[in-house]
Amino acid sequence: MSLAKLTAQSVAPTGEKPWLQGAARFIVLIVVCSIMTILTRSDEYGFVFLNVSNLLNVVRNASILIIIGVGQTITLTARDVDLSVGSVLSLTSVVAAIMLNKYGIAFPVAIFAALLLGAILGLVNGLLITYVGLPPFLATYGTLWVLFGFSYLILQGAVIYGFPAGFRVIGNGSLLGIPMPIIVMAVVFICGYFVLNHTTLGRRFFATGANIETARMSGIRVDRVIITAYVISGFLAALAGLVLIAYTNGSEARIGDSYLLPVLAVVVMGGTSLAGGQGNLLGTLVAALIMAVIHNGMNILAVPAIWQSLVVGLLIIGTVLADQLLRQRA
Amino acid sequence: MKPNVSSFLIRVPSAAWVILLMMTIFTAINTRYLTLDNIVNIVLQNAVLLILALGATLVILSEGLDLSLGSVLTLSGVTCAYVMESLMDSGTPHAVAMGAGVGVGLLTGALMGAITGGLVSLGKMPPFIASLGMMGVGSALSLVLAKSTAIYIRNPLFSFFGERLDRSIDLPLMQYFSMPAFIAIVVFSVVWVMLYHTPFGRCIIAIGGNESGARLSGINTVYWKWMVYVVAGVLAAISGITLAARLEAADSIVGVGWEFDAIAATILGGTSFAKGKGGIAGTVLGVMVIGIARNGLNVIGVQSLWQPALTGTIIILAIVFEIMLSRWKEGRR
Repeated sequence: MSLAKLTAQSVAPTGEKPWLQGAARFIVLIVVCSIMTILTRSDEYGFVFLNVSNLLNVVRNASILIIIGVGQTITLTARDVDLSVGSVLSLTSVVAAIMLNKYGIAFPVAIFAALLLGAILGLVNGLLITYVGLPPFLATYGTLWVLFGFSYLILQGAVIYGFPAGFRVIGNGSLLGIPMPIIVMAVVFICGYFVLNHTTLGRRFFATGANIETARMSGIRVDRVIITAYVISGFLAALAGLVLIAYTNGSEARIGDSYLLPVLAVVVMGGTSLAGGQGNLLGTLVAALIMAVIHNGMNILAVPAIWQSLVVGLLIIGTVLADQLLRQRA
Repeated sequence: MKPNVSSFLIRVPSAAWVILLMMTIFTAINTRYLTLDNIVNIVLQNAVLLILALGATLVILSEGLDLSLGSVLTLSGVTCAYVMESLMDSGTPHAVAMGAGVGVGLLTGALMGAITGGLVSLGKMPPFIASLGMMGVGSALSLVLAKSTAIYIRNPLFSFFGERLDRSIDLPLMQYFSMPAFIAIVVFSVVWVMLYHTPFGRCIIAIGGNESGARLSGINTVYWKWMVYVVAGVLAAISGITLAARLEAADSIVGVGWEFDAIAATILGGTSFAKGKGGIAGTVLGVMVIGIARNGLNVIGVQSLWQPALTGTIIILAIVFEIMLSRWKEGRR
C-alpha cells in the first residue's frame, strides 16, 4: 500500500464527518462561554467575562497550554504521550531564570540555552523510547521525576524572581495591542499546523503513529521520526516556560507541574487519539480555549485552587471516557 | 551444553548486580554502611514501599498501569487519620477508633481502585490516563480533607503498627524487628498465594500474556481486570495506613511520587509491560535497589537537596541496565 493511501486512511476516521466534530467543539466553546458570561454577571460590574481585557486574559492563559499542547499533539500523533512536559517546562525555565537573575547573562543567550536544553531533554526521551525500548509513558514519567529533582537541586527549594525588562517583553509586552504570549502562540500554532498537515515530516508522524511496522516497511526511519516528535515537544515546553516566567516574572521548581493534566485533557478533548496516528491541532486550540474559559470562570467565581484541580481531574476522565465510548459506537 | 560462567551470569537477576555494585560503593565510602542496625533501618524504611510495589506489580502483570497509587496511599492515610481523630475527639476508645479508621482507610483504597478499574475495564480507557485523572482527584481530596497540612495522630495503639518492637516489648533482640516489616511479610505472603494459587492470579497473568486469548478461553477479562485495580487500591491503602502509623501523622502530600518508585521497583524486578512475564519475588529485589540507593546516599552524607535528582537518575540508569541486560540475555538463549 502506498504511503499516501495509508496515511489518508489513518487520518480520516471511518464513518465520521470530521468537520461536524470540529463544529461540535466550537459549539461547546460558545456554550461554555455563554454559561460563564451568565454565571459571572454581577449587578455591580455587569458582564465581567465579556470584558475585552478579561477575554485577552483568557486567550493569554490558553497560550501557554496551546504551545505545550502543539508538542503533545505531535508526539501523540507520532507515537505516544510525553508526560515530562511539565517538568521540562520547570527545569528549562529554572535554568533560564538562574542565568538571567543570578549570573546576569544576556537574555538572548539565556533564551537560546533554555530552548536548546528543552530540545536535548526531548532527545533523551526519544532515545529512551526508541533505542532503550522503554514504553513512552514510563520513559517520560521517569524523566518527569528526574527533571523535578534537578530543578529542585538548582533552586535549592527557593523561588527566583525579577528578570531584565528586555526578557520580559516576550511575556508581558504587546504588539499592536495584542499581548506577546498570544503572538508567540499564534506563530507556534501556524508552524505546527503547517508541519503536521502540509509537509513530508507531518505525513511521517501520522504514518508512524498509525502503524509503526507498516511505516518501517514503507521505508520510513521510524526511530528518527519518533525522536523528532519528542524533540519538538521538549523545545515547545521550554518555549512555553520562557513565556510563562517572562509574564509572571518568577520561577520555582514546580512551576510546570500543574500543566500536565490540563494539557493531556486539552489534547484528547481536541480529538487527538491516544492510540496514535490521529492528530488534530485545531481541536487542541479550541479545547485549550474551552479549558481556559472554565479556569477563568472558576477564578472569577473564586473557586479554591484545590477544587479546581479536582475539576480538571474529573474533566480529563470525562472527556477521555466520552471519546472512547463514541469511538466504540462508530 | 556444558555449564559455564556465562550461563551462571545469565541466571542472576540484573537487579542483584545493581544491589551488589551499590553496596560495594557505599561500604567503600563509609564502613558504617554495612551494619545490622542500618540493614534493619533499610527494611523498616522500605516495608511501606514494598506493599505499594506489590500492587503496582499485580497491575503491570495484567498489562495495566496505575499512576494513582501514590495519591491513593495519601488519601487512605488521610481518611483513616481523619475518622480516627474525629472519633477520638468525641470520646471513643482507642481500639474502636483505630478499627473504624483502618476500615475506612481500606475502603477508600478499594473504592479508588474500583473507580480506576471500572474506567479501564468497562470504560476501555487507556490505563495511564484513567489513573492519571484519578491521581488528580485523589490528591485534591486529600488536600481538602487534611486542609493542606497534616493530621496528627494521637493514638498509641495505632502508632504501635509503625514502630520497632523494642519501643513496646522489653525483650532482647526486639530492636531488630519492626511492625511495618511484619505487615509487609504478611501482605507479601497473601499476595503470593493469591497470585500463584488462586484463579485471580492465573487470570491476571493470562490477561497480561494475551488478553484476547484469555477472553477466548472463557476468562471474564473485564471482571478480572477490574478486580486487579481494586486489589492494588487496597494494597495502596495498607501502605498508606502503615506509613501514617510510622510517621504518627497523615500528611496531605506524603505520597507524591511514590507510584513512580513502585512502578520502577516492578520494572527493576524484571516484570515487563510487554509480555506479562515477571513476578512479585523480583519486585522485592527492585524495592531493595531503590531502598539501598536512598539509604546509601543518606549514610554517605549526600545533602538532601541532591537526593531527588540522584535517586531518580540511579533508578533510570538501573532500569536502562535491566532492559539492556534482559535483551542481551534473550539474544544468548
